[in-house]
Amino acid sequence: MPCLICLPRYTAADRMTQVADIAMPRDRRTTARLAHFWLAGALVVISIISLAIGASGTSLWGALQKLVIGEPLTQMERIVLWDIRLPRVIMGICVGASLAVSGAVLQGLFRNPLADPGLVGVSAGAGLGAICAIVLGGFLPLWLRGALGFWLVPIAAFIGGWGTTMLLYRISTRRGRTSVATMLLAGIALAALAAAVSGILIYMADDAQLRDLTFWGLGSLAGATWQKVLVSAPVVILALGVAIGLGRGLNGLAFGEATAAHMGIPVQRVKNTAILTVAAATGAAVAVSGGIGFIGIVVPHLMRLATGPDHRPLLINVALLGASLLLIADMISRVIISPAELPIGIITAVLGSPVFLWILLRRRGLVDL
Amino acid sequence: MLTANIDRAWIGPKTILQDVSFRASAGQITAIVGPNGAGKSSLLKAITDEIDFEGEVRFNGDDAEQVRPWELAAIRGVLPQSTTLAFPFTVIEVVRMGLLSGHSGQQEHLPETALARVGLEGYSRRLYQELSGGEQQRVQLARVLCQVWTPVTQENNPRWLLLDEPVASLDIGHQLMVMRLLKDYTARGGGVVAVMHDLNLSAMFADHMVMVVQGGILSAGAPQDVMTDTVLSQAYGCSLRVNQAPVDNSSFLLPHVAAL
Repeated sequence: MPCLICLPRYTAADRMTQVADIAMPRDRRTTARLAHFWLAGALVVISIISLAIGASGTSLWGALQKLVIGEPLTQMERIVLWDIRLPRVIMGICVGASLAVSGAVLQGLFRNPLADPGLVGVSAGAGLGAICAIVLGGFLPLWLRGALGFWLVPIAAFIGGWGTTMLLYRISTRRGRTSVATMLLAGIALAALAAAVSGILIYMADDAQLRDLTFWGLGSLAGATWQKVLVSAPVVILALGVAIGLGRGLNGLAFGEATAAHMGIPVQRVKNTAILTVAAATGAAVAVSGGIGFIGIVVPHLMRLATGPDHRPLLINVALLGASLLLIADMISRVIISPAELPIGIITAVLGSPVFLWILLRRRGLVDL
Repeated sequence: MLTANIDRAWIGPKTILQDVSFRASAGQITAIVGPNGAGKSSLLKAITDEIDFEGEVRFNGDDAEQVRPWELAAIRGVLPQSTTLAFPFTVIEVVRMGLLSGHSGQQEHLPETALARVGLEGYSRRLYQELSGGEQQRVQLARVLCQVWTPVTQENNPRWLLLDEPVASLDIGHQLMVMRLLKDYTARGGGVVAVMHDLNLSAMFADHMVMVVQGGILSAGAPQDVMTDTVLSQAYGCSLRVNQAPVDNSSFLLPHVAAL
């Protein structure tokens, strides 16, 4: 007969906790921090693969071998790897990270997982800014154009995105409460307005400007140059740095503005910083790559499912995952109908819109829209 | 000491409070009572600077408007009537937010202790959104407790719990549990101001009662002074009779003996 005293004895409370332990996920803080390393590793691997494949048969490994043994690269290799693929990969990382972080910050600001720069008109506003700069830039005084140089388009995109976000927040928030229905509908209206004004400007544009404008409609990384990288990367790095500092503030905002203030969070400052960050990150992304949708909604949602909604690890993780996913989408767009290219916006929309619908359906019963 | 001298408070075009002079002492539970729509919650919201008002609010002598948000958060925790969350936080994640905002520091065990004190052991990893209203309210209370865990600051100033209907959605067992917890907080030197719906619980536990009627204070003082036939009948617009409980001599009210 087994010794009864040796058998572990549980109280009812013990059993309850045990059941809870099995049924509930483990502490998500650790998982979220571990994810930093996994995602960073994945991004490195994906970047290398992305450098290695492409329409031309140029081999990354061959070029690297030559570099190691000190043999000079062929001109083809130098152009394909250094002038075409590398800036494209870096730009993909910048754009993917900034779109994903913009989405996460916007969702935190609006306290709703359905906010996305592409959906609520922020991208359209940034696009309008960029189009204004291209078409109307000639009317600016010469000294100003000279001073701004290549920064003219990103700055205009930033101003457009900032204006739209501000307007959207003003319209949909009353007394500290954001109405989701108003936000989505106002976003549609603002996006339509921005598109209409953009249309007028495109009508006014001359042939050379039209060529510059075309790629916005497509949304693509194909136009990547070192110049664009140099223009967008600093903005993106700055915006990402600021965004990551917003984590605590956005966590507080999830409780509503009043409660956030009671927690000691300087609410107005957090909101202003969030709006500026979204505008800067979206503006930089749109200025170099046009409107690429759904990264901003899909990436934060997947990340929240995996590691929870705490914004402090979340913002770092979405930046890494956003960069990786955009690089993957870009690879698909390059090889699927090679040697031609499918615009990347099509890929992200095909992958992203079902996820968006899925979020919508899952939340239908839980939250009033 | 918490003082609020509010000349006028308003929401949109509507004046909610007029000429209210409110006082609460540390070491006491101050209950704000009154009929629906009288301005109880608005009084608390004026004290916590959630609605527009003319006047001044002082915590331990300092003008609340001059104190920076994070310094204010270190001396007073605020519990709203109900809190909905935009994202799927777990219970422990919600309670930990209190740790970050107050001066309780990074005391890892504190959230668990706070949860146990509101009767929610073993709930840490449950999703907040899936809890009942009463459970959510207790989770939020645990969060606020974490924020101002020690009732007295190092400079020997009291900390404050400002609670909007902390027990309204709770069952009787948890109502008593929470009220005793508040009593204990005041016994250790802290101050509690609570908007209360239940007159009997207020009379049992409060040291000071403030009856708000039509945007002004009708009566304030010890519970036996406020819980009188005249005050209650005037406040609630029906004839009410107050009784004394034999156990602790506190006043209580039975709806059965009300005359129309």
